Amino acid sequence: MPEQLWFTELLNHYLGAPVAALLHALGIRPEYPQAPISNAVAMEVLVVLLLLAFFLFVRARMSVDKPGGMQHIVETVEEFVAEQAHGVIGHGYERYVPYALAVGYFILLANLLGLIPGFESPTASPVVPLGCAVVTFIYYHFHGIRTHGGHYVKQFIGPVWLLAPLMLLIEIVSHFARILSLTVRLFANMFAGDMVTLAFFSLVPVLVPVVFLGLHLGVALVQTFIFVMLTLVYLGMAVSEEH
Amino acid sequence: MRKLTFLVLLFVILTVASPVYAQGGATSSNWSVPIGVGLGMGLAAGLAGLGQGKVAGSVAEALARNPGARPGIQLALFIGLAFIESLVLFTFVLLFLRTS
Repeated sequence: MPEQLWFTELLNHYLGAPVAALLHALGIRPEYPQAPISNAVAMEVLVVLLLLAFFLFVRARMSVDKPGGMQHIVETVEEFVAEQAHGVIGHGYERYVPYALAVGYFILLANLLGLIPGFESPTASPVVPLGCAVVTFIYYHFHGIRTHGGHYVKQFIGPVWLLAPLMLLIEIVSHFARILSLTVRLFANMFAGDMVTLAFFSLVPVLVPVVFLGLHLGVALVQTFIFVMLTLVYLGMAVSEEH
Repeated sequence: MRKLTFLVLLFVILTVASPVYAQGGATSSNWSVPIGVGLGMGLAAGLAGLGQGKVAGSVAEALARNPGARPGIQLALFIGLAFIESLVLFTFVLLFLRTS
């Protein structure tokens, strides 16, 4: 049995059997049949539940005349992301702000959850950033095709016909490299942050690791910003009209 | 007296607590692995430091010349730093995968 956090244990206690049955029906063999839900998945579920509770709370108390503190925070974040999207994508950016906000909130809370004792960052395991990156990849290609239709292929073959096969190959590789770089950047930052804290904790177990937790807090915010910005940049490149 | 108590307490924490968190057992007897990891990570971090220093220097210069262009410059700064940094992280992940 692997080491389980309390929330993972709770989920496995109540949902372990149905999840194991579902995985078995799909032909997947979990590594530990007694505890099919891993820490990363449990923390992801917790992040989603927290976000749902937070936004239901904010939505219930939303008011135009007397906005509360929570509403101010949410509106500030929304305005910030919309402003960045306007700068990167330009005309017609409103359609893409909800996705960027959703992925941003998820990653931000997932990163920050690791700072609380008793929890760990789901983004510190490679599976979760990979999921976010793959969804982003599908999303921007979908909007590229929706905007340009068949002409979307022109972005991949470049302006010179003779070089088209070469360009196509390079572009396909570079688009898949985006998945890799988005995944590894987020995963490695979170993982390395945990590792550094742990390494200094094993050297000096008092006070010093707190400095690195502070550093980790900054890294968590910056990595969220970068993930959202890169999502917007890729979207902007996919839907731009110049090509 | 307080100082002495504090020092004794600190000494006890430092000497008693550290072995608790020490990693147990040397898994690899290959002496070249730690040297390779140190060299690789050192090279990656040092060269990325040179690159990021150039980015930060250029940003400072640009902001000094034209403080009004802050939003655009900051966007380029963050994305540029992220791309440079991700190369170090690729190295880190590769080393981690190869050694563990």
